Amino acid sequence: MSRDGIAGLAVLAASLVLYALTLDLKDNPMVPVGPGFYPRIVLGLTALLSLGLVVSDSLGRKNRPKEAPKAKLNYALVATSFGIFALYCVALPGLGFRIATFTYVVAANAVLAPPRGWKGWAGSIALGLATAFLTWLVFERELSVLLPRGAWTGF
Amino acid sequence: MLELLGTALVNVAQFKYLLPLFLGTLAGVVGGALPGVTITMTIIVVLPFTFGLDPLQGLAAMTGVYVGGSAGGLVTAVLLGIPGTPSAIATTFDGHPMARKGQPGRAIWLGVWASFFGGLLGGAFLILATGPLAKFALEFGPWEFFSLFVLALSMVAGLVESSLAKGLVAGGLGLVVTILGNDPVMGQKRLTLGMPSLEGGIDFLPVLIGVFAFAQVMTEVERMGGAARLGDAVDRSLSLAVSHLKVIWEILSRPFLLLWCSFIGVLIGVLPAIGGSAASMFAYDQAKKLSKQPQKFGSGSPEGIIASESSNNANVGGSLVTIMAFGIPGDAVTAVMLGALTIHGIQSGPLFIQQNPQLAYGIFAAYLIAHPLMVLILGVAARFMLRIVTVPKAALFPVVLVLCVIGAYALNNTMQNVHILLAFGLLGYAMVKGGFPLAPFILGVILGDQIEINLIRAIMTDADPWLFLTRPISGGLLVLSVASLAFAIWQHRRHKARAAAEADADF
Repeated sequence: MSRDGIAGLAVLAASLVLYALTLDLKDNPMVPVGPGFYPRIVLGLTALLSLGLVVSDSLGRKNRPKEAPKAKLNYALVATSFGIFALYCVALPGLGFRIATFTYVVAANAVLAPPRGWKGWAGSIALGLATAFLTWLVFERELSVLLPRGAWTGF
Repeated sequence: MLELLGTALVNVAQFKYLLPLFLGTLAGVVGGALPGVTITMTIIVVLPFTFGLDPLQGLAAMTGVYVGGSAGGLVTAVLLGIPGTPSAIATTFDGHPMARKGQPGRAIWLGVWASFFGGLLGGAFLILATGPLAKFALEFGPWEFFSLFVLALSMVAGLVESSLAKGLVAGGLGLVVTILGNDPVMGQKRLTLGMPSLEGGIDFLPVLIGVFAFAQVMTEVERMGGAARLGDAVDRSLSLAVSHLKVIWEILSRPFLLLWCSFIGVLIGVLPAIGGSAASMFAYDQAKKLSKQPQKFGSGSPEGIIASESSNNANVGGSLVTIMAFGIPGDAVTAVMLGALTIHGIQSGPLFIQQNPQLAYGIFAAYLIAHPLMVLILGVAARFMLRIVTVPKAALFPVVLVLCVIGAYALNNTMQNVHILLAFGLLGYAMVKGGFPLAPFILGVILGDQIEINLIRAIMTDADPWLFLTRPISGGLLVLSVASLAFAIWQHRRHKARAAAEADADF
């Protein structure tokens, strides 16, 4: 089974699980149809479409042309970048916007383009400081958009 | 109408509105010029800056981004042969060869002025058509709105370039997002999956930010490492000097080409979520077919540049019509604008222009003024753009993601939206890698609640389901939905048959 078939199966499974959950929803006497009416239509449709994707993937397996070799992609870098970003999102309420943003920008920049020597690190740190300070200044001070305060740092 | 437009033009020309409009246009031009940064990503980055502004200031900034971004992509397309945005791909075909032949100034300015004239023609359509279309939409009941939204979704799912099945599944997944959390009619909890944070449902803006900006950044990150810097390809000794009158005459002496390609741009803009890239490719193809010298296309033909650039800027006007008259976003950029309207407590849809005439005409005025601003910015900064594209992505992407987080967080000052951004960023990236189109997904997320509300309203008014078919407009729209899917199936089969025939011919 190709990626399409696997994706189709995943969507089918999710649709069926959610469909089963809609059966527990109680109808509202105020309206002719309950809160589960529309979700059942949507999930039934999604289940059918994903089943169609699985079937067409299985039927088209023999006729599928060989894929041309693709350029080598750096998935390790994607995973690391995502990990750092996820840590940033998790740490934001604890560290506060300024500290978390500074740390995130320096770390992400260093991962995407590893700094060479002290000049490289100085550049990364300057970028982190500038981003954290300028965004805070523009949003909190100028545009009155509140940014997260740190529960651990109070900053 | 003219009086309202005149007042709006005077209003937007005030410094208070002109500054955000100028900054938005500048951001759009720069974002458009940067390969790997789309107009959608630029407008998502600009979104949090609009939270602290009044609605017209914010929408003026966004309109500027849209207009500037649609033209900005041509700079790198012409000078480097790398389109800054997908809508500038067709400009590369003739713009870059013309620049390589020693006429970079002519190529750039043909593109800029064609964008200007195409954009203004799109603007004329926007101003003239929005009111009557909104009036027509006021005749709609829940049956018609339900059918209209279904048509929008089926068209988007059907017109995507990858598989139809994947387009439909993506649209279905978008609808699934809207059924989680609560029932929009009675506010009853449903399908919260045991997560209290889901009880209020899922806002579409963090989903959109995650799916478009985060997934886009990650697809760029995977190509990083070892690639040559764009700046290395730039010849900084280029002269972009040109006689503007000559260039303008070169465009205006082809009135049919300009009008036809702008019309194509507007038409494709009106259709939901197809976008400027399809408009410019289609217009380029049409220009080539209608040209007396089709053999010159691809080797620096001015007609190719005019076709591509006039259509992709006219496309902006068409997209704005759909959102202002029907409340359906024409593409991802107008979807963010829809979100900005919601943040300011303004309901888009057919009543928008009637209830908020100053804001609606303010958007028209901002759209018109953004065009000369775009010309001015490109005139002053086109050469400078060559330096901007050398900004390292390793520095740019973390900053873009920080602005995305601010955009999501500031919607209602909770971390919940940041977590949604993260989750949907991952889903969006997975969808991109799996070849699932994002446009139907996001349209499903945006329209899901409205589809449900109108379906339930229709049933509450009259339980007869045949009314969806027997009411003329509703029935017509549903027939069009089926026809668009049938057309998509036919097109996919024809494409497959052609590909198979070409493969046989190779042997």
